[in-house]
Amino acid sequence: MMRKLLVVDDEIEICEFLKSFFEDRDFKVVTASSGEKALDQVAQFQPDVVLLDIQMPGMDGLQALKKIKESNARTKVIMVTAVETQEKIEEAMRLGADNYITKPLSLEYLEKDVQDKIELLSQGMQQNSSPR
Amino acid sequence: MLFHVKTPRAVLKKSLIGLILFFLGGLAAYLFPFCLPRNVEQQWGHHPLLPIFIMTVIFLAAYKPIEKFVKWFLEKYLFHKKSLAQMTLMSLAEDLAVNLDLQELANLVVNTFGEVLHLKTVALLVPDPLANNFEVASAYGWQISASKRLRLAVDSPLVKLVHQAGPHVLVRGLLLQSLSWQEANTLSRDFDSLQAGWIIPLFVKGELVGLIAFGSLYPDVVFDQGDFHFFREFAASIAKCIHNALIVKRLKRLNFDLQDSQSQWIQKTKLNAIEKLAAGIAHEIHNPLAIISGKAQVLLMQKGPKQLEPNVQDALNAIVKQTRRAADITRKLLMYSQGSHGPQEWISLEKILDETLALVSYQASLDQIEITRNLDPEVPQFYANIQEVREVFLNLLLNAVEAVGSSGKIVMEIKYRRDEELIEIICSDSGRGIAPEHIDKVFNPFFTTRHEAVGLGLFVTKQIVHRNGGSIRVESHAGEGSMFIIQLPCSKECVRKDDSKKEDSSSMIAEAKE
Repeated sequence: MMRKLLVVDDEIEICEFLKSFFEDRDFKVVTASSGEKALDQVAQFQPDVVLLDIQMPGMDGLQALKKIKESNARTKVIMVTAVETQEKIEEAMRLGADNYITKPLSLEYLEKDVQDKIELLSQGMQQNSSPR
Repeated sequence: MLFHVKTPRAVLKKSLIGLILFFLGGLAAYLFPFCLPRNVEQQWGHHPLLPIFIMTVIFLAAYKPIEKFVKWFLEKYLFHKKSLAQMTLMSLAEDLAVNLDLQELANLVVNTFGEVLHLKTVALLVPDPLANNFEVASAYGWQISASKRLRLAVDSPLVKLVHQAGPHVLVRGLLLQSLSWQEANTLSRDFDSLQAGWIIPLFVKGELVGLIAFGSLYPDVVFDQGDFHFFREFAASIAKCIHNALIVKRLKRLNFDLQDSQSQWIQKTKLNAIEKLAAGIAHEIHNPLAIISGKAQVLLMQKGPKQLEPNVQDALNAIVKQTRRAADITRKLLMYSQGSHGPQEWISLEKILDETLALVSYQASLDQIEITRNLDPEVPQFYANIQEVREVFLNLLLNAVEAVGSSGKIVMEIKYRRDEELIEIICSDSGRGIAPEHIDKVFNPFFTTRHEAVGLGLFVTKQIVHRNGGSIRVESHAGEGSMFIIQLPCSKECVRKDDSKKEDSSSMIAEAKE
C-alpha cells in the first residue's frame, strides 16, 4: 500500500518542495494551502501523516489540528512551524500533535520521523509516540 | 524689660530717655519751690528730700510718654535704615508673588532676609508630605551639607508648639524661660538643630506651609514688638507664595509620575510592535530559509552515481549551516520581544547572559569589540521574570556596545556576595564614558545623547531592577569608560542552587566568532 502524506502550508513553494521530496521517496503526496482545504483533503484522501504549518491565514494550524484529531484520530500530525512560541507548541502537543519540527527543516530528521509514524501505524499501534 | 539694655540702639534709646527725664526732673525740682506760697516755701522749700520726691513723681508720670516720643524721634530721624530694611523685605514679598519655583523663591527669601537683617543663619523649611517632616528648601549662612541633612519631624516639639502658638514669632530666649525645665530641654534641642534664635511660622488658612528659622550674628540682638509685627506681616505675604510654589511642586511631581507611567506604556507598545514585527519577519525569513536549506539537503542526500563532488558537498553543508544560523538570529529576536510581563520563575542568570551575549556578539563582532564574560560559579538561580532579566542584560550590553563604538572591550561579570546575600551584575566598558553633567540623568526616561535613540533602555532597566528589589548605579569618567553595577537581593532561604552545567567560568565570546 502506498504511504499517503498531506502537506499543509500557505507557502506554495514549501508545499511543492516537500511534495517533490517525499514523492522521490515513494510517498503519495497531496498539498493544501490553508486549514480549511486541509480538512477537505483529510476527509477525501485519508492521509497517514499530515505535515501541518501552524501560522496560516484563516483557520490556523492549531484549529485544523483539533478538527483532524476529532475526525481522524488515527492520522498522525507533525506540526511544522516557522516561528515557535513555547505556548503554541505546548498547545499543539496538548491538542494531540504527534511531533513538531521547526523551519528551516532538517530533511533527514523529518524523513525519519515520518517513517517512524507510518511504522507505528502499520504496527497497528494506536498510542501516540512521545514527542521528539 | 525697662532696663534690659542690649543693642547699641537700645542703649541710645534708654540713655536719651534717661537724659530727658533727668533734665525735666531737675528743672521741676529747681522750679517747684518758687511756685509754692511763701510761708510753705520757707518751711519746706529747702527740705533736702523735696527735689528727690519731685523727680520721682516726674519720672513715674512722664516715662511712658517720653519713651514714646524718643522712639518716634529716633525712628523718624536716626533709624531710617530699619524702615529701609522693612521696605526691602516687603518689596521682596511682592516680587515673590510672581515666582512659582520653590527653589528660587526659597533662595530669594533666605538670602534677602539674611543680608538685610545682618543675620548669621537663616533656613527656610517646607513640609515634605512623603517623608512626613520639614526639610530645608534653602539656607543662608549654613554649610550646604549640614543644611541638607537637617530634618524636623512633623511631630517634633517645635512644630507642635508652632501649631499651638499660631502665626506668632517664636523667640527662643523668652520661650525657654517660660517653660518647665524638661519641656525647655526638648524644645531647645530643636532650636539648636536649626541654629535659630527666632522662628517665623508661615501659615496659609491654618495650614503650616513653612518655617523661617534664623539666628543672629550677635548674641545680644533683640527685636522689639514693632519688628515682630512686621515679621508677621511679612510672613503672611510670603506664606502665600510658598504655598503656591509647594502646590506647583506637587503638581510637577504628579506630572512626572504620569510621564513615568506614560513612558512605561510607550515601552510596552513599542515591545508589542517589535513583537509583531519580529514574528512577521521570522515567518517571512524562515520559509525561504527552509527552501534554501531544503534544496541543499536534497542535493546532499544524493547517493551512488549522483553523489556530488566533495567540494560541492562542502559548499552545500555551509549553506545548510548558515541558514540555520540566520534562523537562530530571528528566533532570538522574537524571543526577546515576546511577553515582557510573564510569570516569575527560577532562572539561570548564566544561561540568559549567554543567550544575550550570543545575540549582541553578532553586532559586536562586526565592530572590533571584545566581550568577556566572567562568571562566579557559585551564583545561585534567581527568581524573576525571564523576559525582564533578558531585557536588563540586553540593555546593558547594547548600551556598552554603543558606548565602545568601533573597537574596545566590554566585561560582563556576575558575582555572588554570599555574606551580603546579593547577586552583583557588573557591566564595564572601555567606551567614551559619561560626561559629569549627564551622569545623574542616564536613568531618566527619554534621556539620550544619540539622535536616533528613544532613551528608554536604562530607564526600563532601572525599573526592572527596582521591581526585583535591587539597585543600579553607574560609575564613569568621561573618556575612561563606564561601569554599571546592579545589585539584586538574594536571601539564603530562597537560594536555589543552579543545576545547569558549569562551564569554564570565563570565555571569550566575541573572539570565538570568525
